[in-house]
Amino acid sequence: MAQVINGKMNKLLNTPLKAFTLYALLVLAGSIPAYYYIVNRIWLSEIDLHNKFVKRKIETEFSKIVINDTILIQSLSLWNRIEPGIDLRPLAKPVQKSDSLYTVMRANNLHSRHSNRFRGLSSYLIINGKPYHLTVETNVEEADEIISDIAFVTFGFFILLVIGFIVLNQRISAKLWKPFYKTLHQIKAFDLSSQRSIAFEKTTILEFEELNGSLQRLIEKNISSYQEQKEFTENASHELQTPLAIIQSKLDLLLQNEALTGKESEIIEAAHKALARTSRINKNLLLLAKIENQQFVDTEPINLSQLMNDSLDFLSEHIEAKNITIEKQIEQGVFIEGNRILLEILINNLLLNAIRHNVENGKIGVEFSKHRFIVSNTGHNHSLNTANLFKRFSTSSAETPSSGLGLAIVKQICNRYHWQIHYSFDQQLHCFFVAF
Amino acid sequence: MRILIIEDEPELAKSIADYLLGENYLCEFAASFEEAFEKVTTYEYNCILLDLMLPGGDGMKILEELKKQNKQDGVIIISAKNALDDKIKGLHLGADDYLAKPFHLSELAARIYSVIRRRQFANANIIQQNELKIDLLAKTLLIHNTPVLLTKKEFDLLLFFMGNRNRVISKNALAEHLSGDLADMLDNHDFVYAHIKNLKKKLTEAGCDNYLKTVYGTGYKWENE
Repeated sequence: MAQVINGKMNKLLNTPLKAFTLYALLVLAGSIPAYYYIVNRIWLSEIDLHNKFVKRKIETEFSKIVINDTILIQSLSLWNRIEPGIDLRPLAKPVQKSDSLYTVMRANNLHSRHSNRFRGLSSYLIINGKPYHLTVETNVEEADEIISDIAFVTFGFFILLVIGFIVLNQRISAKLWKPFYKTLHQIKAFDLSSQRSIAFEKTTILEFEELNGSLQRLIEKNISSYQEQKEFTENASHELQTPLAIIQSKLDLLLQNEALTGKESEIIEAAHKALARTSRINKNLLLLAKIENQQFVDTEPINLSQLMNDSLDFLSEHIEAKNITIEKQIEQGVFIEGNRILLEILINNLLLNAIRHNVENGKIGVEFSKHRFIVSNTGHNHSLNTANLFKRFSTSSAETPSSGLGLAIVKQICNRYHWQIHYSFDQQLHCFFVAF
Repeated sequence: MRILIIEDEPELAKSIADYLLGENYLCEFAASFEEAFEKVTTYEYNCILLDLMLPGGDGMKILEELKKQNKQDGVIIISAKNALDDKIKGLHLGADDYLAKPFHLSELAARIYSVIRRRQFANANIIQQNELKIDLLAKTLLIHNTPVLLTKKEFDLLLFFMGNRNRVISKNALAEHLSGDLADMLDNHDFVYAHIKNLKKKLTEAGCDNYLKTVYGTGYKWENE
């Protein structure tokens, strides 16, 4: 589950990185037409200036020289042929038009078919008292060439930006978010049942300091309410023991009545059973509270293999009563550090569970190695609800006299020693794995 | 036999006394620490039932006092706490037994019986009842002077009945006696029936009278007028 989430999740810092990158891409892409527009305009206006300069020069030169009209026209037609950039032609009658600017696509010269962009100036002159039409055209870089050049450079800058973002991001991530990750690490390691609060490190960043402060308060509140709840359970269970003892004793006394009818005896028996169940729940709640309250602190190296064998011996009559076959694979001499009482309870509860929920002529498998043991049993032909299996009272029902706390206690003991316990239903066997 | 019941819950004390009545026991009560302290230092009892949580003081102090005075009274702690520390401390201070509440009166009676036997007949501890002869030290049973081989549990059951003669004992009480806390988790108590059946068979085969009666619907009773 966690892995699936991780797969879809982004690190906090990668999210703005993506946004920044996308934004940079948009801005830089948008800058391409802007640059083009500016470059093109500067270029054209420079060329226009140049063309005007050429025109003025032609005007001035012509006004200085005296030339015959016929020779002029001959010279012009030759000039126009060699130099298509400047075209001067006589007109039939004078045209009253001011200078105009234009852009045209045409071949660069007569021999080339490749068309180029030209910026032109069209002007009407009077030479020797006769009207002439002058066009000055200068080659300009094509629009697509300008755009591709700008785009190329822009893309280069974009790559530089992205590399910069990533490097900066990593630097910032490592430095700026360090206190945050530290806090996160501490919270992950936090265990409510250990009853130890977390001491967060001081940071100079206001937000993190506030976060740590709030977490600290939250944790302390949690610890104290958890503590209260546990104490309540323990006290309530204690208080119940005496009234339960009174009821029990009264029923025992009532049983001594010689005049009891069969029906009355049955009523007492039923009351006895219900009372036994109440006592059992109470006792187990008390046990749970004690384990949670960090009692049973004494530990010693315990021979688990031995414990398992003893337990099986002790339960042998119950195993035989159901004609259950035991398949043992017990590695000898597995020692573990723990509290003897708790480990006995752990093993007994698992074995009893395997006996109680077994069928006549069923099987119990006990596998034991250095780092784990497995208790498996035949039983109902469907898997148990794993979500609730280790929860308190989840398996308790009117039909079974169980306290509904047996597996909760097992789980609690495993938690105490940081052992893993899990359940699986495989090949018609209910298996409980404990890894230590 | 003088028994002192130190218990601040009057109804429980009364039940205990009622159950023990008629079995040659004389019960006295103490409901507070002061009263209990005064009685144990003044008189001698064959067995003291001691509740640890008393108004006015800690029951452990009474045990300490008994030890200090080197008194030989048998002591059974009956506590709602069922804390291992208490148990160890109590036994260390000289208590004979520790019984957690709630308990069956038959269990208590069996333990009182056993404590008194141990204290009084330390060397020749033999229970004789007509043709039965139980040697508590050797853990053997003779019927008409012929040894009868019993399993540990059968012997245990027999002693339990000896401590509860003429009382009806519920199946529940026997199950708990035989398997301790594990009885909690067993959904049927047929194993009790199996042990009783075997015991009965062995007794009958050895020529013993039928003292062990089944009480319809509820349990068993060892009859011995």
